[in-house]
Amino acid sequence: MAIVGVGYSQVGRHTGLSERHHAAQAAVAALADAGLSREDIDGATTWGGDATDFAWMLGMGPLRWHLNVGVSPAFITPAIHGAMAVAAGHCDTCIAFRIMMQQPSSAVIAAGGAALSSPSMIDAAMMHPYGDFSPTQWAGLLMNRYLHDSDATEEDFATFAVVQREHATRNENALQRSPLSAEEYLAAPYISKPVRLLDCDLPCDSGSAVIFTTEERARDLRARPVFVEASALSSIRDMNFELLDDMTRTSPAHCADLLWSRTDLGPADVDCAQLYDGFSVITFQWLEALGLCEPGGAGPFVAAGHTRLTGSLPLNTDGGAINVGRRHGANFCIEATRQLRGQCGDRQVQGAQVAVWANAVGPFSGAMLLTAG
Amino acid sequence: MVQLRSGPADAILELIGGPARRLYLTDTVDHPSPPAPPSDPLTDFFWEGAREGRLLIQRCLACGTYIHFPRPICRACLSTRLEPAEVSGAATLYSFTETHRAFHPFFVSRVPYLVASVALREQSDLRLLSNLVGIAEPDVRIGMHLQVDYEWLDEHLAIPVFRPAPLVAP
Repeated sequence: MAIVGVGYSQVGRHTGLSERHHAAQAAVAALADAGLSREDIDGATTWGGDATDFAWMLGMGPLRWHLNVGVSPAFITPAIHGAMAVAAGHCDTCIAFRIMMQQPSSAVIAAGGAALSSPSMIDAAMMHPYGDFSPTQWAGLLMNRYLHDSDATEEDFATFAVVQREHATRNENALQRSPLSAEEYLAAPYISKPVRLLDCDLPCDSGSAVIFTTEERARDLRARPVFVEASALSSIRDMNFELLDDMTRTSPAHCADLLWSRTDLGPADVDCAQLYDGFSVITFQWLEALGLCEPGGAGPFVAAGHTRLTGSLPLNTDGGAINVGRRHGANFCIEATRQLRGQCGDRQVQGAQVAVWANAVGPFSGAMLLTAG
Repeated sequence: MVQLRSGPADAILELIGGPARRLYLTDTVDHPSPPAPPSDPLTDFFWEGAREGRLLIQRCLACGTYIHFPRPICRACLSTRLEPAEVSGAATLYSFTETHRAFHPFFVSRVPYLVASVALREQSDLRLLSNLVGIAEPDVRIGMHLQVDYEWLDEHLAIPVFRPAPLVAP
């Protein structure tokens, strides 16, 4: 399978646009990127909205395959399912969406004007009496345990934020582009200590679309194809992050084992990594799980500058969701694709041939290895 | 147990969009009600136990495995013979976080507060989500010994919480 088209909607804070607007814009951008027409699309999948609604609205179809994805490891679930539908021959060319609308602000929530909606809280009634409402809180549990178990320090997380912002200054589509200092990171307020504001992805409205097709078809299209070398989904327990018995070795470790078992490539072959940063500690978990640094060593690895554009492993080169806004993992697929095509301008990783992108952490996760065609 | 009811503000909440929080008839501006768990045959025992000052965890009668959060089947042996069992309340701290933002009106006056994952003594992989009380955040240490206690959030809702265990002679 191959990725042949990628696109975003008009991403921003409270855009005033609906899910359908974001899906329409992202699809039109991805089709133009691929040089495909809507009649070429015969498969559709999404998390957010309804794939058949989007396809009909866009004049696609009839579809030979479609799937609406529920709570799962972010964009990688529709992405892997779309690629698998092509591989299985159920469709030739599949569009995968992640459409995400910004949540109400914490001020509105605290005033009782809205409830925080967290799809991961399947046992919410057991959690809410403890004041446990937000993913930021399990991220706080995870980060404290990670700081205890690993060699990382809060200063390493500051460096991580600074480096990601350096990348974002080179990305005209990033929502946060002004340079950031470690002091500014450390001065940002805690949301759920030790998680600070700048450890969290930036809430926004976003629509992302990626088009998968066969390798044969991809070679006939105008963009340089990007091939799906391997992919993996993992689940190691139910969705209650708070109850994980070993928080710092969770499904990414299992997922990475699966991924590397399905390819002859290995961690040393990776030219750039695009690893989920809904909370920055998640990226640290993936660096270790994928074998891109030593176990427990992500903090020193980041502090040594390896994740800079000039380092041994440029990481989250679009600036990450902390800076480009919450696109729920889709940005990592799109950035990996653009890096392998050589389209990243000032932030291009020279000669990038292999990229890995990964989403989610804890109970479930997914990863995909891409190669340049 | 306070019953969930639609308050007069529901229509307004629906107008501003998003999933409306159910309000309680007892809500007032100054004293918002705690987020009481809706009655559920699977989990009611946990809260009833707390009201009696007992920590009850679902346990499989066939193989002895403790299960939390409660489920209709034992994941270790697939038995459905499950009963609440009282546990010691002795635990160690697995991890913690100090929440600084209120994500619900009841907690506006309570921030910052400590959310914790505690490891119960009875079973190595048994974790309980709870609050840590009686200690300031800078003094908290992962691995510290804890003992269960009970906090009444209002006249109806008691929750098991954990505080540092008193030092015991070896």
